Amino acid sequence: MSSQQIDPLQHPEVQQASLRGYISGYGVTLAGLGVCLLITNAHFLSPIALLSTISALALILLIAQAFLFFGLDFSQHNIWKTFSVILTVPLFVLSIGLTVWMFHELNGLTMLPEMPGMPMQPTLLQ
Amino acid sequence: MDAHAASPPDNAPDLWHYGHDGNDPMAMKTLGFWLYMISDALIFGGIFAAYGVLDQPMGFYTGPTAAQIVHPGAAFLQTITILSSVLAYSLATVAMKTGNKNGVMLGIAASILLALMFLGLELNDFATLFAQHATPQTSGFLSVFFLLIATHGLHMIFGVLWMLVMLIQVPRFGLNTDVVTRLLNLRLFWQFQASVWVCVYIFVYLRGAS
Repeated sequence: MSSQQIDPLQHPEVQQASLRGYISGYGVTLAGLGVCLLITNAHFLSPIALLSTISALALILLIAQAFLFFGLDFSQHNIWKTFSVILTVPLFVLSIGLTVWMFHELNGLTMLPEMPGMPMQPTLLQ
Repeated sequence: MDAHAASPPDNAPDLWHYGHDGNDPMAMKTLGFWLYMISDALIFGGIFAAYGVLDQPMGFYTGPTAAQIVHPGAAFLQTITILSSVLAYSLATVAMKTGNKNGVMLGIAASILLALMFLGLELNDFATLFAQHATPQTSGFLSVFFLLIATHGLHMIFGVLWMLVMLIQVPRFGLNTDVVTRLLNLRLFWQFQASVWVCVYIFVYLRGAS
């Protein structure tokens, strides 16, 4: 027990706070969302290409935040947090992806085709 | 033994010790809160799934489409304020590393101000939509739109309340184990709001405007 710590400020989770990491996370996120805004306003991509591009950028930004903000890694004091996130990702894919896909298919089978004058916008899968 | 190690008094809480695989009390609390945050993220996942389902012509019913109500340029100002608020709080925890209570308080105060700016912009956005008769009752799409944005906004409000409590606890109790653990959990909660906003901004505002 000679290495036992009693000062909470020396706890690894307190000491993992990083000025460089947080400023980098802020800059990367802001720049990434700015790029997404510019791509969207430029209107040079088709809806599906735009959705794919900004979705990929969203994924990159979330991963960057996981490292730079949350400090996730495989160190002893973070490994369970990292694994819990990794194990939760399939739940997001299943719950959101399958729900949208199922209702998209259902719409195609049950809804009337596009009517003149109806406000139209491509769905997530179009 | 390093400079910070010491033999604890009998009544000192066991925080952690290197080389021991078990979690310490502080880490147990932050891990528990982390698991709560993941369940909270799944709530957002459910709302995003509903948004994906209702963001289509039948979901708009007689109401406006997403492209008619979202303004990604204006919402980018919200993006700047929320990310700045998260940065300010994160910097408060950098100050905490060295026991700088004034730095902690300053970071939290700045974070609160920026969060209030974010909420003000959001409320203004809601007021504008309501003035245009775009209310949650208008269509299924608007119901889930308001639900998603308001759920995130409610998280922001609770975060601000939590920070106000910490503004009282830090000077009153100092940076003891309980206060530090709460500040760590609040950091998780606040940084999580930035992650949710990335998804909201991209899949609601940008995708809606495309």
